[in-house]
Amino acid sequence: MHKISANRKRLFTFILLGWVLLLIGDRIGELRQYQGAFVAMYALAIASIILLTGYSGQLSLGHSALMAVGAYAGALSINNLKLNPVIALIVAALVAGIFGLILGIAAARLSGPYLAGTTLALAISLPTIANQFTILGGEQGILFDIGAPPARFGEGFSQYKWFFWISSLAALIMIWMISNLLHSKFGRVFRALRDNQTAAQLAGINIGRQKAVAFGLSAGVAGLAGGLLVMLISGVSPSAFPLSLSFSLLTGAVVTGVYDLKGVMLGGLVLVAIPEIADSIGSRVGGSDGFTMALPGFLVSALLILAVLFLPNGPGKLLKKKM
Amino acid sequence: MLQFITAILTSLSAGAIYALMSTALVLVWRSTRVINFAQAGQAVLTTYIGYEVTVRTGSYWYGLIAAIITGALIGATIDRFFMRPIFKRIKSGPIVMIAPVVATLGLLGIIQAIIGFIWGLSYQTLAAPVSTDGYKISGTVIAFSPFNLMVLLSVTITMVLLTVLFQKTNIGLALRASAYSPEIAKLSGIKVDAVRTLGWAIAGAAGGLAGMLYIPNSYLYPNGMDVLLVFGFISAVIGGLDSLFGAVAGAMILGFAINFVATYISYKLVFPTAFVILILVLLVKPGGLFSSSKGRKD
Repeated sequence: MHKISANRKRLFTFILLGWVLLLIGDRIGELRQYQGAFVAMYALAIASIILLTGYSGQLSLGHSALMAVGAYAGALSINNLKLNPVIALIVAALVAGIFGLILGIAAARLSGPYLAGTTLALAISLPTIANQFTILGGEQGILFDIGAPPARFGEGFSQYKWFFWISSLAALIMIWMISNLLHSKFGRVFRALRDNQTAAQLAGINIGRQKAVAFGLSAGVAGLAGGLLVMLISGVSPSAFPLSLSFSLLTGAVVTGVYDLKGVMLGGLVLVAIPEIADSIGSRVGGSDGFTMALPGFLVSALLILAVLFLPNGPGKLLKKKM
Repeated sequence: MLQFITAILTSLSAGAIYALMSTALVLVWRSTRVINFAQAGQAVLTTYIGYEVTVRTGSYWYGLIAAIITGALIGATIDRFFMRPIFKRIKSGPIVMIAPVVATLGLLGIIQAIIGFIWGLSYQTLAAPVSTDGYKISGTVIAFSPFNLMVLLSVTITMVLLTVLFQKTNIGLALRASAYSPEIAKLSGIKVDAVRTLGWAIAGAAGGLAGMLYIPNSYLYPNGMDVLLVFGFISAVIGGLDSLFGAVAGAMILGFAINFVATYISYKLVFPTAFVILILVLLVKPGGLFSSSKGRKD
């Protein structure tokens, strides 16, 4: 009985959150809508990292590559298969998920540094590989056009609001599903894997399979986020998925608290805010081009190190300790 | 036939540079149990310093010496003032598993950003001290140049020196002992922390050398050695992460594999080949092809 009510409470929370977002979306300008869409997309991507690292204990630096896989799959299914854009986003998640599952089977046998290195290798080499295949459009990449908002929403319904809607709705539904999953048997199994593999194995958990499943799920979520990302920038190219994207996501996850899904929105906000902050610092200081362009990377990395040092369990834990 | 010989020669010189990078990674891994992802950043930063010295003095050789020395200094500084406090600070909780790796990544980002602050993000070229035009054999120019030969020779000399250092000197013995069992080494009176910092310094110097040998055939920019980090990591994994001999042998295997694929099939397959090799080694022989002793498992 208790469990059902907890699930229902979560559903209500998400519906409430969605309603609030809907109201907010009506009241903010186009720039904020566009940024809001980015926040939702980053939040989703960070959720995929938390699902993997925080709950199953595997550290991936390759999520930029997994997002790229989803993004290319989505773009190809719109351009070549003429699929409905919404279905294309689902395809993005599925293809990335399958790719992740295959990778996860290999990754399941790897521990810490090996997995980190292998996923890093993936993140660095996949954009280079994508560059070389004509079907993927090379350096220019390919279009990803989600299309104009449906006519029935009226004339005042802008493209940016449409982005905001799709992005936040996708993120909400997906994060709701993840949080349900983490509160189910799966979640307990994942946490057991993270905390003590030997004990988990003794309890009859097939470690390899569960790790691969966790990797596949996480990759699927990342793939959807990748689809949303290229929807927002209207095209997919190798340069949209640099290694620094993986770093940013990791920073977002660590800032949010790797072991807690609740703060992903905060992580998304931070990732959207950093370039803005860097921009305003850059214009105030009046530094060179190199300074302005390198500043976001500096802030992200500094935040990553500071968060690991001073907030190893996330901001939530800090508040609890103080109280 | 000529193509075959060229492929062998270019494989050797490519493998030599991977070997420097994998050696650097292995040295740090042995002493600290961390894959130092910041190695790409350290190496490229020291190469920028070498580049700056080369431009100011007009001599590549001064630049090379500057790069090697600053590489060692930067490596030692990072261990002493960055990694050691982190290990001291973070001792409990699930974050312990990911904190060191995350820290080296953050450091990589910071180093690359600092390079951007100082030198900008544009591509620079570093001229090689000897010709990079291929040798001419019976009228055909091959893809192996005097500079490639220099790379091969300098890496060979470096490896010989490192072997002597590790096998014939007391410092080498201390380095090996601390890597094998820090507790016992400490009991025997070895200053394990200092030895660890020395390991980082040697690794940093190797990275500086790698950069100065790699960049003349490529371009100098903040992410310029990311790819080399990947190849170095793959080489180190082939060699078992723990053994210096393995690191060099792994680098040669990788160098031959990707250069032969590039020569005979397509250069497009370089990255897929490297990645497939990595996955295969990890699946079939995760301990590496050359791991003999079990050593520490943590």
